[in-house]
Amino acid sequence: MKDKALTHEESLNMITAMIRQAKSNYQKGGSFYFLLWGWVVMLANFAHYYFLSFTSFEHPYIAWLVTIPAGIGSAIYGARQKQQAGVTTPMERLYGHVWAAVGVGIILALMFMRQLDFNHSAVILLLAAIGTYISGQMLRFKPLVFGGVALLLASILAFNVPVVDQLLVGGIGILAGYLVPGYLLKNKEK
Amino acid sequence: MTGFKPLDPLLHSQLRLAVMSLLIGLDSAAFTYIREKTGATAGNLSVQLDKLSEAGYIEIEKGYNGKKPVTTCKITAQGVEAFESYVNALKEYIG
Repeated sequence: MKDKALTHEESLNMITAMIRQAKSNYQKGGSFYFLLWGWVVMLANFAHYYFLSFTSFEHPYIAWLVTIPAGIGSAIYGARQKQQAGVTTPMERLYGHVWAAVGVGIILALMFMRQLDFNHSAVILLLAAIGTYISGQMLRFKPLVFGGVALLLASILAFNVPVVDQLLVGGIGILAGYLVPGYLLKNKEK
Repeated sequence: MTGFKPLDPLLHSQLRLAVMSLLIGLDSAAFTYIREKTGATAGNLSVQLDKLSEAGYIEIEKGYNGKKPVTTCKITAQGVEAFESYVNALKEYIG
């Protein structure tokens, strides 16, 4: 492309073409986070449930340590994606803010689990439901919207069952809310 | 042609208009990304970006990604206003 003057029609065509170019560059790889966190949280829930229900293991919550490498992996992946794309769109910025807010909510729920009478799983499922529902609407991807609804139902159920069973409900909720839509999104990204 | 607003000469050029049209929908974009999307040569793009920056239409930030130098551009509020005025004037001409 050179620095030449344009006719009015050429100007209009140029504007339309470039706006389309910018639109087509929305970062791919959103499914990565749903799949990574889906597997990690689902397995941690099931492992914690198994240790509590079928063993006399003293530290059943140790299963959640797996979230630490997952958090590091997420951060590295995010930074690399941003570098490779060389571009930031307003939608990506908003998407990041939504999940940062959900993340802060989850940390607070974990910090105050005692005050929540250890019903924090139900609260976390509710926060995950909100994040997933908004993501689905932003990406205009129905399976994620339904995933958000599945997590909301799991949260309602979790508020009404004993704390141990909340782990089982949480694992199934994450399977329906993160993993299934995550794989469908990955398929769409190809 | 009386009554028509004159088109901003800074924007009424192929490459500068392409850059502004690209940046209007983005928060920020790397030099390499703009070069790839516009198909311009690095030298020409650099000159045109400087012109847009001098006019206050875009901000250019130079930084490093590890040891690799990275130039990032973003449109300013003044740039958005100029772009909108240009599009409105263009509509009148084509109208």
